[in-house]
Amino acid sequence: MNEHRIIAEAVSKRYLHRRKGGVRAWGANPKRVSPWALSEVSFTVGPGEMLGVVGANGAGKSTLLRLLGGVGRPSKGRVATHGRVGALLDLGGGFLGDLSGRENAMLAGVVAGLLRQEMRERMDEIIAFAELEDFVDEPVRTYSTGMMMRLAFSVAVHTDPEILLVDEFLSVGDLAFQAKCHARIKAMRERGCAIVMVSHGMDEVRRSCDRALWLKHGKVAAFGGAEVVAGLYETEMREETLRRTPSKGPLRATGGIALIPRENRFGSFEMEIEAVALLPGDRIRSGGAFAVKLDYHARQLVRNPAFVVSITREDGSVCLDTNTQLGRVEVSDCLGKGSIRFEIDRLDLGAGLYFVDVGVFEAEWRHAYDYHWHVYPFTVDGATEHKGLLAPPVRWQAEA
Amino acid sequence: MRAEDIIPQAPAQARGRRWRHARDVLLVLTARDLKAQYKRSSLGFGWALAGPLLQLFIFATIFHRALGAQIPHYAAYVYIGVLVWSWFQGSLAQGVGLITGNPSLVRQPGFPLSLLPHVSVSVRFIHFAIALPLLFGLLWSLGLRPSRAWLALPLLVGIQYLLAVGLAYPLASLNVLHRDTQHILTVLLQLLMFASPIFYSPSSMPEAFRAWYQWNPMACLMDAWRMVLLNGRWPDFAALGILLLMALVLMLVGRRVFIVQSHRFVEEM
Repeated sequence: MNEHRIIAEAVSKRYLHRRKGGVRAWGANPKRVSPWALSEVSFTVGPGEMLGVVGANGAGKSTLLRLLGGVGRPSKGRVATHGRVGALLDLGGGFLGDLSGRENAMLAGVVAGLLRQEMRERMDEIIAFAELEDFVDEPVRTYSTGMMMRLAFSVAVHTDPEILLVDEFLSVGDLAFQAKCHARIKAMRERGCAIVMVSHGMDEVRRSCDRALWLKHGKVAAFGGAEVVAGLYETEMREETLRRTPSKGPLRATGGIALIPRENRFGSFEMEIEAVALLPGDRIRSGGAFAVKLDYHARQLVRNPAFVVSITREDGSVCLDTNTQLGRVEVSDCLGKGSIRFEIDRLDLGAGLYFVDVGVFEAEWRHAYDYHWHVYPFTVDGATEHKGLLAPPVRWQAEA
Repeated sequence: MRAEDIIPQAPAQARGRRWRHARDVLLVLTARDLKAQYKRSSLGFGWALAGPLLQLFIFATIFHRALGAQIPHYAAYVYIGVLVWSWFQGSLAQGVGLITGNPSLVRQPGFPLSLLPHVSVSVRFIHFAIALPLLFGLLWSLGLRPSRAWLALPLLVGIQYLLAVGLAYPLASLNVLHRDTQHILTVLLQLLMFASPIFYSPSSMPEAFRAWYQWNPMACLMDAWRMVLLNGRWPDFAALGILLLMALVLMLVGRRVFIVQSHRFVEEM
């Protein structure tokens, strides 16, 4: 038995693009060199190991899977695989709608490298795994996408590959079926099958993979333990989002927390909430009066917007959620600056840290003009005589 | 079941398995193409027979009256030409789009793409074989009985099979890079059809074209079929031998080039 199922040594790939435009391009040098789709990628995958490949679209993930499958050759470097390669690349892509599920399964199995005899032996098992006993002799064109993918998945895992290349498969079917898929994958790994999976879900990578490879513009950005690489990737994704947000600098909110579009601030910004004041302040006594004052600025005419105020706890659970439409308050058309005030006579909340979330929405709730989430914190003091969310005035009275 | 049970380690066994797998791929894909073609029609596979039947009827009646005077057994003469030609023409027309029409097979790791030309030629061969009994029936009704020369027929089938596969290899790979290939092929096939003695006798050709005539492999094959079936005599083995050699070389070279090229198919599609 080989020590490694897959060895990739400094694999680089560059596609030669031909100039489009038919006959005229003939004669001229038709080859134009494009940037490297993959550059100096090296790793190994041992028996039973599962490698996650992460990266943005166009980072070279699919190219890598193809090269590992022996479909196409690296421009430089070397790919060596030991064992039969199975692939879950486009699930059901090769199915023919007019043929029955059984015929398509036979076709897919033989194309994947099994003999007809071997497929016949495991056909019942495949159909049972895909949970298609009642439909297997119906034409595949009557199947739902889920049924088709279940069948394709079932065939692929029953061909007993020694190397499995997967492109985002684990969203197949419902939760019960996914659990079955995971169990099957686990069993395959225990028998020594090496798996390479392209994924966009970092939770998936953390849960299933031993190691992860992060590709960025065809280069290895990170390679190591799945947990570490997934964490790095997520951090980078957040920073990337920030970089792409409107150039307007983050606004400092009254509470001291920065307003960051797409993180705690959402909306189309035709109308903005410019300032939020908590009255009497951000520390209030339980049972005291509380008010929220919103200063807004409509850059263009906004018809009958709806203002929202909600009070949430740190963990996101909602204590109060109301808006001007629920309160049957007529908000006139807004243009320019103005302000609106929301008042609570008694705030009977238990002691703790809370947030005021505020927003202004389109009249039919189609979208938010501006919504600030978890930006304005306040503390409720007192109410030490009981625990829990509510702290209304209470008394005990013994009755005989 | 363990993976080791399925993938034998010994090379001899591995080779045996590869052959069996190639056979199974051929069977399964040929069946796929045939089923896909006829599955949704109510007459189903019967249509494969309906076409040749109609042709036979037309040749035996209308054509026979219009053109039959010069050539003996004209209906059978034309029918042989049409069947041989349809197999050849269909194989190439289908073969040229093999790679471009099967992206999921091209992307399948380890799939032996070099089997695909055999699939299209086999599919068309089955159509050819379905019509053969009709031809034999026609011959019988014309009073032509089987002779020993009929033993040469499998050779004719084999040569044509190799020739079509050998041509399908370069056509299919060329079509990946230049999609014009399939359109050029359509035109060329039409030209070749008129250059082949399907409806007319080679003796009625103008003298100027005679020199070219012998270079047309389809003419050579049609002559051989007619020699055997209509005259009951052995075909021209010298010409067939050259043709067989050409077909073999074409197939082996075509296959080699196809395999060398095949790693580029997926990126050019």
